[in-house]
Amino acid sequence: MTRYLVRRLLLAIPTLFGIVVLVFLLLHLAPGSPASAGGSPEAGRRVSAAAREEMRKLYGLDRPLPERFVKWIGRVARFDLGESFVDRRPVSERIREALPATLALNGLALFFTLAIAIPVGVAAGGRPEGPFDRTSAVVLFALYSMPLFWAALLLQTLFSVELGWLPLYGVSSDPAPAGIAGFSDRLAHLALPVTCLTYASLAFFARLVRAGVVEARSQDYVTAALARGLSRRQALWRHAFRNALLPLVTLLGLLLPGLLSGSVIVERIFAWPGLGRLYFDSILSRDYPVVLGLSLLGGVATLAATFAADVAAAIVDPRLREEA
Amino acid sequence: MKRLPSAIFLLVLGACRAKEPSAGSASSPPTPPPAVPAPVLGFVDETRGATPVEGGILRRRLVGEPATLNAVLQSSLPEQQVLQYLARQLLDFDARLLLVPGLAERWEVSEDGREYRFFLRPREVWEDGSAVTSADAVFTIRQITDPKIPSPVFKPLFDDLELVEATSPTSFRARFRNRDALHAYAFAMPLLPERRFSGRPFAKARENRAPLSNGPYRLSSWKTQDAIELERNPRWSGPPAHFDRIVFRIVPEEAVAYRALVEGTLDETWIDQSLKERSARDRRFGACCRTVEFYNLDYNYIALNNRSPLFSDSRVRRAMTMLLDRPSIVRNLYHGSARIISGPWAPDSPAYDAAVTPLPFDPSAAAELLDSAGWRDTNGDGTRDRNGREFEFDLLSSAGAKTGSEIDQVFAAELARVGIRARVRPLEWATFVERIDRGDYQAASLASAASDANPDPFPYWHSSQSPPRGVNNVFYSNAAADRLMEDARRELDPGKRRDIYHRLHRIFRDDPPVVFIANASQKYAFRRRVRGLVTSPLGLYGFWPGPLAWWGIPDDSVAGGRGQ
Repeated sequence: MTRYLVRRLLLAIPTLFGIVVLVFLLLHLAPGSPASAGGSPEAGRRVSAAAREEMRKLYGLDRPLPERFVKWIGRVARFDLGESFVDRRPVSERIREALPATLALNGLALFFTLAIAIPVGVAAGGRPEGPFDRTSAVVLFALYSMPLFWAALLLQTLFSVELGWLPLYGVSSDPAPAGIAGFSDRLAHLALPVTCLTYASLAFFARLVRAGVVEARSQDYVTAALARGLSRRQALWRHAFRNALLPLVTLLGLLLPGLLSGSVIVERIFAWPGLGRLYFDSILSRDYPVVLGLSLLGGVATLAATFAADVAAAIVDPRLREEA
Repeated sequence: MKRLPSAIFLLVLGACRAKEPSAGSASSPPTPPPAVPAPVLGFVDETRGATPVEGGILRRRLVGEPATLNAVLQSSLPEQQVLQYLARQLLDFDARLLLVPGLAERWEVSEDGREYRFFLRPREVWEDGSAVTSADAVFTIRQITDPKIPSPVFKPLFDDLELVEATSPTSFRARFRNRDALHAYAFAMPLLPERRFSGRPFAKARENRAPLSNGPYRLSSWKTQDAIELERNPRWSGPPAHFDRIVFRIVPEEAVAYRALVEGTLDETWIDQSLKERSARDRRFGACCRTVEFYNLDYNYIALNNRSPLFSDSRVRRAMTMLLDRPSIVRNLYHGSARIISGPWAPDSPAYDAAVTPLPFDPSAAAELLDSAGWRDTNGDGTRDRNGREFEFDLLSSAGAKTGSEIDQVFAAELARVGIRARVRPLEWATFVERIDRGDYQAASLASAASDANPDPFPYWHSSQSPPRGVNNVFYSNAAADRLMEDARRELDPGKRRDIYHRLHRIFRDDPPVVFIANASQKYAFRRRVRGLVTSPLGLYGFWPGPLAWWGIPDDSVAGGRGQ
């Protein structure tokens, strides 16, 4: 087991280096630069070549690419992600500011997705092609096909503008109430964005669970459980679902880093101050240090989650340990 | 399963805001229409004869987060919008585009037009009580001209500065290398407190996110990517601003801002044509909000790279102008709220000569011009050619500019009818700009936004300003136009300068550097409770006092909606 884990860990190091090199190269070789990213189509833009050159020097972009990479990686090795080109603040500070909002949003969305998808998937997989399976498939695919942008605006119009039940955007009201009322206020602000993220990923998880349960219910151990006198529900949940859980655990390992990456569309529509918006804005403004910092964070989180999933899989499935 | 989404709503239902009576809801009592102007297309001044109401909160929208609140480093509209409340300028533009005293109570210009002396108001103070001095002005200008400091807004204005020095605690002088009647425009600039920055790295100073105010408001809080709040500056001694607090909410999406306006969590937002049309049909909007529409100094055009063999001939550029059906664009894309232009200014600029009528939409005359320039379809493939080169090109546009893309499509279709192939190529903004800046394009849809009243065409169209030296990135070159642009800069008399611009305008029409299109109206939506609006060719914000003259009455007083 230890040998297996050490091998996985050692493999993660070159993988991370590869990710970092690739992101660095893609970012710097892409057309456009911080000097050309100012202004907007509506506002127009007039910056002379001399001014652009001054900006390039200021950001160190006049230096050769390998030199810039070595400098950046050297800073990263000292746990320094550099400074944002946009506001000259440390990248770590900008990430730290946006991280809690994204974690809260995506964490809650994942929780609700699983809370809904698992029972739906088990119930649908329990009687494949039954009325519930067919109905849930239609509903889930309808939700899956609904464009997020459109659905979010629709929900805002209904629940915020027409009914006035939920806040339209932002993380808190102005002025934000204190104490429990403040907590409730923040929950209310989470409701619509969490709903959007939840409905969008529901179909994927529910169908995955359903497929696992369908496969497991035809296994001998489920037949044996039913023969022992267990009810269909007990057989499904205690035996079929537990075995169907394995691919879900592996998948969760890959999806957990998504908690950090944020959702650009939802964060923009709900003016949510999270990492998705920061990432998107930083790419548009060619804020290389922030984009690299966030990519590095995403890379580390992905590798860590993959490693954790490998460990979990090895614990659950002894064959994996033996193969290693 | 179907109950589960409802469970999410139920979970937070207790936390929801109580539904307050809103304008236009079924339960609201019928209310007479409020006494505010209907949507207008012209200039508005609601301050005349009105008595402002003091107090309350104004909730304004920012499309993005300011990168800084350092006036020297500012580079975007959100920064300008917030700084207008915090940082008074040496000089201001008023709503009629005239330079008026700000922190400087008066200024003098030397006879040779190279030296400016400014005299500060003696009682102006920063929010910590210290005096605003000439040392602050000198420090600010020196930061602007420091090559290590990015100051994209102000740096080009001080390119020609020779020296700046304090002559007393309340006066300073600035001398330029060359005489230029328009140097005074550079001093419509805010000041920074010198002692707060001394000994600290300027670009990374803490003050850049916590500025010291010398204006009517001061920074109260800044929640990243969420909101910026301002409160009254108790040391402000100028004319009183009316709201107690200004809250800027950062709302990137137009459609969401529109809903926030109707819902009552925003008081103003910029709107586009589609939202304007929607607002006219929206009963809820009509009950609580209104639109304000007016012309400013912005205009759009299709840049033609004059270095390209396709567009180096003046006849071809004239033909291109005559092939763009501008009346139809104004009618169908702008729904009438745009004005066709014939030169590089909007019709409300003093430089614009209304007597210079735009070239007509005339495909037959354009075809003749192309023939005379040697562009004929000699090989019968349906496309004009000359010396073996087909008349075909990429027409670049920014992927985010919706109207620009539509105009490009109209233009390409019209060109196809006379045997010119234009391929519309939308590009991501930074990529698009890089191509334009490098001169690596043949034609591109662009806009010109006038952030101040300076009509000087020199930096944009004079042949000496072609890249890499300047921003004449269409590489326009016309000796007569060059001479007039130089003369205009040297002419100190505003009337004579205007005459020169008018002569220049005629040249720009007859030898067009680009295809000038139109000056489209600006559209904003406001809660009806916001009063005291003044519009200007500089927009709603770009002049003094601009939004500082607005005041608010409770929503209930106008339409039975939410109060403050």
